[in-house]
Amino acid sequence: MCGILAVLNAIGDSKTVRQRVVELSRRQRHRGPDWSRVECAEAAVQPPAGYGQAHHFLAHERLAIMDPAAGDQPLYNGDGSVVATVNGEIYNHQALRAKILAQRPGIKFASHSDCEVVPYLYEVYGERLASMLDGFFAVALLDARSGALYAARDPLGVTSLYIGWGRDGSVWLSSELKCLQDECTRFQHFPPGHYYSSATGAFVRYYNPPFYTDFEAVPRRFPSAPFDAAALRQAFEAAVSKRLMSDVPYGVLLSGGLDSSLVAAVASRQMRARSGNGSGGGGGQGGGNGLLSFCIGLTGSPDLQAARRVASFLGTRHHEFTFTLQEGLDALGDVIHHIETFDVTTVRASTPMFLMARKIKALGVKMVLSGEGADEVFGGYLYFHKAPNKEEFHSETVRKLRELFRFDCLRANKATMAWGVEARVPFLDRAFLEVAMGVDPAEKMIDTNSGRIEKYILRKAFDTPEDPYLPAEVLWRQKEQFSDGVGYGWIDGLKARAEQLVSDRTLADAEHRYPDNPPRTKEAYWYRTVFESHFPHQAAADTVPGGPSVACSTPAAAAWDAAWAGREDPSGRAVAGVHEAAKAEAEAEAGTTAARDASSIDRDSSQELAATATTAATTPPSPPHVSLSALLAEAADGDAPLALGRFPPGAAAEPAIGGGGGGCEKPPPLAELESLSPAAGASALALSGETDVGKARGAAEVSGVPTPQPAAKRLRR
Amino acid sequence: MCGILAVLNSTDDSQAMRSRVLALSRRQRHRGPDWSGMHQFGNHFLAHERLAIMDPASGDQPLFNEDRTIVVTVNGEIYNYKELRQQISEKCPGKKFGTNSDCEVISHLYELYGEEVAGMLDGFFAFVVLDTRNNTFYAARDPMGVTCMYIGWGRDGSVWLSSEMKCLKDDCTRFQQFPPGHYYSSKTGEFTRYYNPRHYLDFEAKPQRFPSEPYDPVKLRQAFEASVEKRMMSDVPFGVLLSGGLDSSLVASIAARKIKREGSVWGKLHSFCVGLPGSPDLKAGRAVAEFLGTDHHEFHFTVQEGIDAISEVIYHIETFDVTTIRASTPMFLMSRKIKALGVKMVLSGEGSDEVFGGYLYFHKAPSKEEFHSETVRKLQDLYKYDCLRANKATMAWGVEARVPFLDRGFLDVAMAIDPAEKMIDKSKGRIEKYIVRKAFDTPEDPYLPAEVLWRQKEQFSDGVGYSWIDGLKAHAEGQVSDEMLKSAVHRYPDNTPRTKEAYWYRTIFESHFPQRAAMETVPGGPSVACSTATAALWDAAWAGKEDPSGRAVAGVHDSAYDSAKAEANGEPAAKKAKV
Repeated sequence: MCGILAVLNAIGDSKTVRQRVVELSRRQRHRGPDWSRVECAEAAVQPPAGYGQAHHFLAHERLAIMDPAAGDQPLYNGDGSVVATVNGEIYNHQALRAKILAQRPGIKFASHSDCEVVPYLYEVYGERLASMLDGFFAVALLDARSGALYAARDPLGVTSLYIGWGRDGSVWLSSELKCLQDECTRFQHFPPGHYYSSATGAFVRYYNPPFYTDFEAVPRRFPSAPFDAAALRQAFEAAVSKRLMSDVPYGVLLSGGLDSSLVAAVASRQMRARSGNGSGGGGGQGGGNGLLSFCIGLTGSPDLQAARRVASFLGTRHHEFTFTLQEGLDALGDVIHHIETFDVTTVRASTPMFLMARKIKALGVKMVLSGEGADEVFGGYLYFHKAPNKEEFHSETVRKLRELFRFDCLRANKATMAWGVEARVPFLDRAFLEVAMGVDPAEKMIDTNSGRIEKYILRKAFDTPEDPYLPAEVLWRQKEQFSDGVGYGWIDGLKARAEQLVSDRTLADAEHRYPDNPPRTKEAYWYRTVFESHFPHQAAADTVPGGPSVACSTPAAAAWDAAWAGREDPSGRAVAGVHEAAKAEAEAEAGTTAARDASSIDRDSSQELAATATTAATTPPSPPHVSLSALLAEAADGDAPLALGRFPPGAAAEPAIGGGGGGCEKPPPLAELESLSPAAGASALALSGETDVGKARGAAEVSGVPTPQPAAKRLRR
Repeated sequence: MCGILAVLNSTDDSQAMRSRVLALSRRQRHRGPDWSGMHQFGNHFLAHERLAIMDPASGDQPLFNEDRTIVVTVNGEIYNYKELRQQISEKCPGKKFGTNSDCEVISHLYELYGEEVAGMLDGFFAFVVLDTRNNTFYAARDPMGVTCMYIGWGRDGSVWLSSEMKCLKDDCTRFQQFPPGHYYSSKTGEFTRYYNPRHYLDFEAKPQRFPSEPYDPVKLRQAFEASVEKRMMSDVPFGVLLSGGLDSSLVASIAARKIKREGSVWGKLHSFCVGLPGSPDLKAGRAVAEFLGTDHHEFHFTVQEGIDAISEVIYHIETFDVTTIRASTPMFLMSRKIKALGVKMVLSGEGSDEVFGGYLYFHKAPSKEEFHSETVRKLQDLYKYDCLRANKATMAWGVEARVPFLDRGFLDVAMAIDPAEKMIDKSKGRIEKYIVRKAFDTPEDPYLPAEVLWRQKEQFSDGVGYSWIDGLKAHAEGQVSDEMLKSAVHRYPDNTPRTKEAYWYRTIFESHFPQRAAMETVPGGPSVACSTATAALWDAAWAGKEDPSGRAVAGVHDSAYDSAKAEANGEPAAKKAKV
């Protein structure tokens, strides 16, 4: 991974613009701490005399994973007519090299960098380039022969990329929003799976797997391949295996839940197989051949315990990091600056990941494998219990996958790259997706009566008791959510802080202050103000999704249950009832919880009571109300465009709709899954199916007007 | 190394202030990429950005004494921490240490010895102690100022201490470098010099006294070896900067010999060299590396890459001194590559030219007394030049540079030698730095090849490639017009830039650090080829030239003749004579 910044047709004195590009590129230097380079080329077509000069710039901040000694960018083809900056990893680069050599015998590659194939492929195959790459990437290249700019982003948007348009007619591409926001009047996410060519000025989708084209066909078509456990397992193993390509030490993020544990289990087997012939890739400085694994949490958190068990089962070289609530709160301004979103659950889950990435980097590790994507592919969210039929189930997984670049991909990429750590996500492997999304969705449907819990086929594929990948209780137990798993005090602490920072009056005014995608909770309001201080432009706010969602569903899935109807953004508790363990635990707590739930249904305040109760011990005393200047001070650093008090009132554009579910959290712990509960009713008491973790929060969040968001998000990461 | 920021006696103890301090501390996060710590005690804030060299797993800061009444935020390395721990344990049996960090001793020492603590430390450091028992604080900086630190005063009466100026410049109405070798105590509100070596006291005595110890090569060698070896204390991989000149080669040689003798968990010593392709340093560094058998890494940069980095270099090193910027840029670029290889600490050769009078103009020293006095003056100013460069150009990327030539014990030995021994007299074969060369001239078991040991080194900013300085000048030529330079005296009445290059750097500096106090931290004044103002009087030929080029002294140096002739413009040769 790296940071790229490309400017096409910038008008002005080349030295001045160059200096500006150098400065802007520096804003994403965290993505590429190892080296920088800027390439400047005169534009083929110049403006009329007297209107300045047009130049193209390609700037690159490099994180060296492959061939650290020689792979500095930009990269060139043989005669220098194609210049490319690439952020990403190309897993099939060896095969592509062979292909290029077959077409252009005698080519001498300058490095072993996996990315060096890009300019040559473009030379030979032109715009087909993007579809030939297996990996995750953002590419910007200049073709000096035609003067064209070509840009592409990987199929699912694992790698972040933005595109913007400057007032002078320039086109900007950047790995992160922060580099182009001050220069562009319009900007947006670069659509994943697309390429853009300045020759035509159009975005073209090059990624057209069957599950996309079937989804878009009229009438819609659905996959029908029978579930083949071995095929699914092998596809996933292959996805992990190709991601172990690295010339530097690497590790795996291990929260102890199903997804990350599977990644760790497969990686650890492969490592063992490889170290048999003497290459212990992830050995780190010590030179052992155990896989490095990493976990973070508040002291004593569920994740730390779960991961420790899995790590000891797998025999990884495990590292536990703990953080305090205060450290998390202190980092929040940084986190939002880095991840460039105000989505509540994304911010919550990004913070521990951000802190962990710093520690991982401090240990000299530059690359980690991570478990994002499984819940989308296999329908792991609670609301999938309610899928009315397999067709709807499948369609929802497709919709979720297509939105992932705004949520988990964005988090996994930016929270780690904030410290120059690259996260690779095998569940979003192209070939694996074709297998997993080709399975008849009837196999994915949840039916607890027949023992089919969420992600059943994935679990089943790795259920090989004779040579177990994981302990049975890990394989068959539902995982804590990331932002819950790090410790129950985390979310409570965030809410308590929000309570201090945002008054009831301020929140009541939120619809005027933020007419688009208005924050519905104090926590959301807080994040929004911090975001705004870093990214004051309307276009920046527009990159962040909002809109109706049930427990992180897309709007389409929000119509699955009549009980959800009419609620714009019902809390996750509406679906929580489908979840046995949650219900059981809630009943165990009935004495207190239910009563509180019931009584708090109209008030928005019980959450504060609960939150402050649980965090009183850990939060240092602070003045009760701190005013917005405290929020803004978080952002008040030199290179962040400081927007103290600068709020463009009512700077409205079209509301961000249809963005799919917010970033979400995963379901509450499911320790003892017994049977499917009666469908959750609409009554407040029936809604009390919360875990003890969530009870206080849920109680508050379900509370009435306007239906608050965070509990919904709780059900998904 | 790390980054520290302390705000004491603020009138504001709010959440907003905490956030402000965090945001300011972030500006020096490059110094401590590994973790951040923040301790608020009422209206006092201690922030820390950590680079973990010792005890990476548990040494997060701030650090405390046992009952947590004393809080300390430290940037530096304490080489004698084991002895000090021992001393603490003897004085206070049963004392519990919370970490294995070398810096933790400071909190305990302060508890036991109070303000004496700074004088007890052997290493390089900048730290702030907050004593919550009586709400006082104490700050100190190492003897020579190897570690950078600034102090400032806010409008509300708060006192600010920070590793780099960029953190406090916006909040203080006055600020300055924290004087090296001093501590500041809030009890008295005064700076006290705790570092009072013989060569300082003699220098200040009236009448001035001079050292007279006979030159003992073995003693000098052993002192330097001890200095290098104690700097190899590290829990993470480290290396050595190797330009192939005398000073860096000696450091590399001693380190490599120790590793060869005792082994290392990280295998062979890493050595690093930077240059434009084909530069003299790259060749020389390679030759020495081959001789020593180090794991050598060469890094190349282009003039354009260097120019692209200039603004950032100035932002990092916080000076507009021309030669410092020229030499800092390659070092800055190299540090990034070093860090990319996973190395966090390097040994470096700064200080030798000051201790032994290695600059060209020392040829003209009228007497051994003047020679010696000049070395003392140079040493006392070093924190504004090479220490600042070595510290900030590397810490820009979280790489810590350690400088064995500025070791306290070594300085005591080297500065006590009769300066007659240091005087340059080519007719007797005594070239610059003769006594240090002689000390390591052991042909039976050579530290270095004879041609390296006895050859004068290229200057750093020239050694990286001759076109580097020319490239900078050419670029400055495009940035600054003749008109602008002519009116420089009005634009910058203080410390006026005299060349286009200097003017260019000044404008960049000003864009990052517009405050007058910031400008005042940068030295100026008359100088001959980097001499102090006093030494500029040594030769009548220099008189009347406010800022003569090094060519005025170049004549004393055989090989410099050629390069001086080659350079139509006298300026580079001037700088050639100094880092």
